[in-house]
Amino acid sequence: MLDVAYSLRVIRAVALNDIRSALTERLFTSVSILLPLNFLLLFLLFVLTGGQAPTAVVMDDTGPYAEQFLQALQGARSFTIVRSTADEAQRLMQQGRIVAIVTVPADFDAALQSGQTISLPVIVNNLNVDYTNDIRRAVPLAITSFYAHAFPDQVVVRANEIDVHAQDTGYIEYLSVSIVVVSLLVGGLLQAGTNAAREYETGTIKELLLAPADRWAIEVGKMLGALALNVLSAAVVVGVVVLGLGVRPVHLPEMLGYTLLVMLTFVSLGLLAGTLVRRRTAVVPLSIALSLPIFFISGAFGPVQWGSAALAFISRLQPVYYAIAVFQYAFHDFETTPSSLSLNGLLLLTFTVVIVVASAIALRRRGAAQ
Amino acid sequence: MPVAIELRELTKRFGTFVALDSLSLSVQRGEIFGLLGPNGSGKTTTVNILSGLSRPSAGSATVLGYDITRDTRAVRASLGAVPQETALYEELTAWTNMVFHADLYNVVGHDRNSRILKLLDLVQLTDRRDSRVSTFSGGMKRRLALARALLHDPQLLYLDEPTLGVDVQSRRALWDYILGLKQQGKTVLLTTNYLEEANTLCDRLAILDHGKLVALDTATALKQRYGDMVIDLELDPVPSQSLLGDLRALPGVSEVVLSDGHVHLTTTGQRSVTGDIITLVAKQSTVRSISQREPNLDEIFLHLTGTALRD
Repeated sequence: MLDVAYSLRVIRAVALNDIRSALTERLFTSVSILLPLNFLLLFLLFVLTGGQAPTAVVMDDTGPYAEQFLQALQGARSFTIVRSTADEAQRLMQQGRIVAIVTVPADFDAALQSGQTISLPVIVNNLNVDYTNDIRRAVPLAITSFYAHAFPDQVVVRANEIDVHAQDTGYIEYLSVSIVVVSLLVGGLLQAGTNAAREYETGTIKELLLAPADRWAIEVGKMLGALALNVLSAAVVVGVVVLGLGVRPVHLPEMLGYTLLVMLTFVSLGLLAGTLVRRRTAVVPLSIALSLPIFFISGAFGPVQWGSAALAFISRLQPVYYAIAVFQYAFHDFETTPSSLSLNGLLLLTFTVVIVVASAIALRRRGAAQ
Repeated sequence: MPVAIELRELTKRFGTFVALDSLSLSVQRGEIFGLLGPNGSGKTTTVNILSGLSRPSAGSATVLGYDITRDTRAVRASLGAVPQETALYEELTAWTNMVFHADLYNVVGHDRNSRILKLLDLVQLTDRRDSRVSTFSGGMKRRLALARALLHDPQLLYLDEPTLGVDVQSRRALWDYILGLKQQGKTVLLTTNYLEEANTLCDRLAILDHGKLVALDTATALKQRYGDMVIDLELDPVPSQSLLGDLRALPGVSEVVLSDGHVHLTTTGQRSVTGDIITLVAKQSTVRSISQREPNLDEIFLHLTGTALRD
């Protein structure tokens, strides 16, 4: 009982000490808050700028069929439509402001009514193959869609779509949740990593190592200190996604709980990294270098199982995969992994415990080498 | 007198490098014991092993009866340490540093604050209790580190270079504190490169070199082992080799060195040989000056290790 009370006192003391120390060092504290936010904004910009192909539509015919076709183009969700004249469209193309010009010819309605073949001019600036392919896929899709609405009797094959989820989720909505996870990862690595490395840089690690306290209690204290400091950056990141982008969590209590769990996992990773590298100047680039590749292989853009089996296997070996899974559930009610939600949570907890034990061992061994 | 520290064939290897080579010694309770040696001699390795920061490759050691590998926690609880770099949280106040140490060492209860105040008073830092440590001078930091090390009332104190980088006035004050610890019955193990410090503070000295114990005794006994007296002569003209040979042959003269025109003679034994030396030298040279003194620890160290202490 005495030992438990003592260990709890050590945990509290170490956590408070780390918070006090970190708050006196504004540079690293600012970096720990701003860098995750920077990650969030960077990825959001990437998402927002990489969406739909800007396309000019020249309406030489304004008959009802021509207008219905324009609506079909707009409904294809691949274009940002700019309705313009032929001259204006050419100027936009020359200025590099649009990817394609689709011209609805003057005899569009008449040709349709007389059953003639219509040649639809599509000029594509094929500088970027992704956008080019978007145009190549979406224009035929718009034609099919147009026919299905305008001449329902002529289109006899129809897809009978049954949705797994009650509502569609946009690319931005899905990805922004994954970005929250990578921002928490960067924040956790930075905050806990710099807290741990500071002890070695300033020599205060000896004060900790010479104490009769358990190593795990010291590590847990450092984790909780980093967690408390990380709350601010996590709140900012989650706030931007929820309030700024309007991506609301479907399961609010779960979102709060999983945020706490994921932050714990990531600060434990940071603690281990800081104990191993022992230099704050090394922690910052290491945090960025670790976060980016892990983020990309962890199902940030869609379930990992949709990719290669090898990638899915590698992804399952690290906690970010499970963190994205529980966050996608909390925000969108998605289950993006074959394993159940409770198992994902349990695995995150297991990762945390294993990493804390590894940190305690590293503290003992690296401490001896100090 | 009961033993505070006992080292038996303690060895530490880092790969092929042997940092400690079968070191055996014991420190008595209530003793101020000095570890001397040039950089890399094994002082820090010894202390790291004793404080549980490092494990020995071979051999064993006990601290206050606790085995250092089995009872690490008990060893740490009974040890107060002042590392060379002080290990103070400089961005925090003196008071916060003391409270943090109290929590780490399970110093609890209503008298904790009064104990902290008492120790800050002892090292004359009460009026700076709320100042950040980063605003302290080197001497003040050392004093605070000493107060912190005493907070959990350890029976054994380890002081690593306790006055390194400290001004003369603060050094004297720190020496007084350390001597005061001995009066309280505490055992002090200190490493130092200052021979004057070792001479003033230490009951016994261990001189280490290349991880081995080369001498262990009181400062007085070490001096006597080197020689009872050092006689320094300035002669005109500079003495010939034959005269130096005659001096070496005198009974009671253990060493004769010619340096910068001065002849340094080390003498041993109770009998004064100064008269014999003067008589012999006067036959060939004029004695311009003569002085005699006890050998200092620098000379003893150089004699034992072949290197100066500061190397």
